[in-house]
Amino acid sequence: MIKAFLLRRLWLWKNRLVPSIFLFLFMPITIFIMIGIPLKNIIRFSISGVPYDVWVFPGLIFIIGSLAIYPTIYREIFDLRVHRKVLLNIALAPYSKSQLIFGNLCVSVLEALTICFFSIFIYLSIVPITFSFTDFILLLFHLILYLFLVGNVYILLSVSVDAITSMFLSSFILIIFIIFGNGFLIEFSFFPSFIESILKYNPLSFSQKCYQRLISTGLLDWTHTIIQIMLIYILFLINGILLKRKLRQ
Amino acid sequence: MEASITLKKVGKLVENKTILAGLTFGVERGSLVAIVGVNDSGKSILLKLLSGYENPDYGQVFIHGLDIQKRRNETRKLIGYVPYENDLDPWLTIEQNIKFNANLYSIPIDICNERIKQYSKSLRLEPYLNEYSLKVSGGIQKKAMLVRSLIHDPEILILDEPTGYMDAESIRLTWDLLKKIKGDKSVIYVSNSLNEIENAHDRILVFHEGRILMDGHLDNLLKSTMEYHQFQIEFESLDDKLYQQLKSTPTVVSPNRLDNIFHFYGRTRTVFFDVIKEASNHMMIDLNVKKLGLRDLLDSEFAGRGLD
Repeated sequence: MIKAFLLRRLWLWKNRLVPSIFLFLFMPITIFIMIGIPLKNIIRFSISGVPYDVWVFPGLIFIIGSLAIYPTIYREIFDLRVHRKVLLNIALAPYSKSQLIFGNLCVSVLEALTICFFSIFIYLSIVPITFSFTDFILLLFHLILYLFLVGNVYILLSVSVDAITSMFLSSFILIIFIIFGNGFLIEFSFFPSFIESILKYNPLSFSQKCYQRLISTGLLDWTHTIIQIMLIYILFLINGILLKRKLRQ
Repeated sequence: MEASITLKKVGKLVENKTILAGLTFGVERGSLVAIVGVNDSGKSILLKLLSGYENPDYGQVFIHGLDIQKRRNETRKLIGYVPYENDLDPWLTIEQNIKFNANLYSIPIDICNERIKQYSKSLRLEPYLNEYSLKVSGGIQKKAMLVRSLIHDPEILILDEPTGYMDAESIRLTWDLLKKIKGDKSVIYVSNSLNEIENAHDRILVFHEGRILMDGHLDNLLKSTMEYHQFQIEFESLDDKLYQQLKSTPTVVSPNRLDNIFHFYGRTRTVFFDVIKEASNHMMIDLNVKKLGLRDLLDSEFAGRGLD
C-alpha cells in the first residue's frame, strides 16, 4: 500500500515537476532570508549563549518540515475527500482506515524529509556552521518524530473539518502557532511567564527541545521522546476512527 | 446457481429517514442485474452497501458467502465499483489513475499493463491514457473508471450509471465489454437509460421507496401487462371539457395529457374505439398504439396502483 501511495506521489511530482521544484526550493530560501537573517540581527545569542544563526538552524528545518508536509496531507486527506475524489476509491481497497492513515502519513513524512534534506544543504551553504554527520543523524531522528506528530495533527484537522474556509482559517492559526509558539525561532523565555508555562507543555515543541538538549548536553530526553511516540500512536488511532466515521464505513 | 451476493433484511436510514427497508434478495454468479427506479428511491445507496462503501444500519450483506462487514478485506478484493461521479485524481493521467489502483491491490506490473491494454483497446481509451483525467470529457473519465474497477479482476462489478456522459459509440463499446465479461463476473448496475436496460439484463430490480417493487426478466415483468396497450391520440385542440369527457370513459386506464395529446392505457384494442367514438366530433391529427415496455412499468401511476 505504501508503495502505491509513494508511486502516486512520484507521479504527481513528475507531472508538475517544474512548479513543484521551484516552490520547494523557494520555500526554504524565503524562510532563511525573511525569518532567519532578520531575527539574527535582533537576537544575537540564545539564552544559553549560542550564536542565534547556529541555534535557530534546527528550528528553521523543523518549520520547513511543518510547511512541507502540510500540502500533501491537505491534498490527500482534505481536498480529495471533500471533493469526493480518489480517497473514496482508496477507502474501498482492502485496507483498514488506520492503514490508510499510516500509508499517507509515511509518504508525507518521506516527502517532507526530502525537502528538509535539501533545506539543510542550502542553509549550510549560506551559513558557515559546524554540522557533523552525528548531528545530522540526531536531527533526522527528531525530525522524523516531529513530522509524524505534526502530520497526525494536520490529519486530525483535515479529517475533522469539512468546509474549505474553516480549513484555511484553522490551518493558518495552526501554522502561525507552529512557527512562533514552538520555540523554533524564539525561546519560550522570551514570552511572558504565564504563556511560557503553557507553551513548554506543547508536545509539538518536544522534538526540537530534545534535539537542542541532546546536542548541547549529550543527554537524550527519554520522557519527552516516549510521550511523543505515545501521542503519535493515540492520534493515529483517533484519525483512523474519525476517517472511518467521515466515510461512513 | 450459486449466489454471488446475498442480502438479508438489509436496511439503511439516513437522518432517521428509511432509505432501504428490510431488503432480502440474492444475485446469481455471472448474471447481469439492472436496478431501476425513480430518483431518490435508494438505488445508489444500495450499490454503496453492496460495494462495502457504506454499512447497512441493520441486516447483513454477503459476498460469495462472506459477511461484508466481518470479512471486509477479503470481500473488497472481490468487488469493483464505479461510482456515478468522476472520482479520478485530476492531476494524474488516466493510465496513472488505473495503475494506482493496480498497485493498491498489489497487481503485478506486467498483468496490470496487459489488462490496461486489453480493456482500453475494447473501450478505445488508448489515445487518452496519457491525458490528465481533468482534461478529458466525462465519457472518457467514465470509461477510465470502468477500466480502473476491472484492473484487479474482481468477481463482482458494481456500476452506477455505467454509460453516464458517454456518446453513442462509447455506450455501444461499454455494453459490448460488459456483455463479454458477464458470465465470468456478476454485473450489477443502476441506470436511468431504460433502452439500455431493456437490451442488457438477465434480471431487472424495480426499486421504489427503498423496496423492491418488481423483480425478474423484462418478459416476466411485462407478463402481467401483456394484454394492455398504450394509446396516444393527438387532437388539433384538446380542451379541458374534451379531456374530462375522454378521461371518464369507463374502459380507459391511467389517462393523462400533454398539450393536445391524450395518452391512456387499455386492456384491449377496443378501448381505442370507445375513445374514438367519444371524440368523433373533434379533429384528430395523429394516432399511436403500442405494447407496453419498461418505461410504462416504471410510470409512478403503474407502480402505485397497477393498471387495474
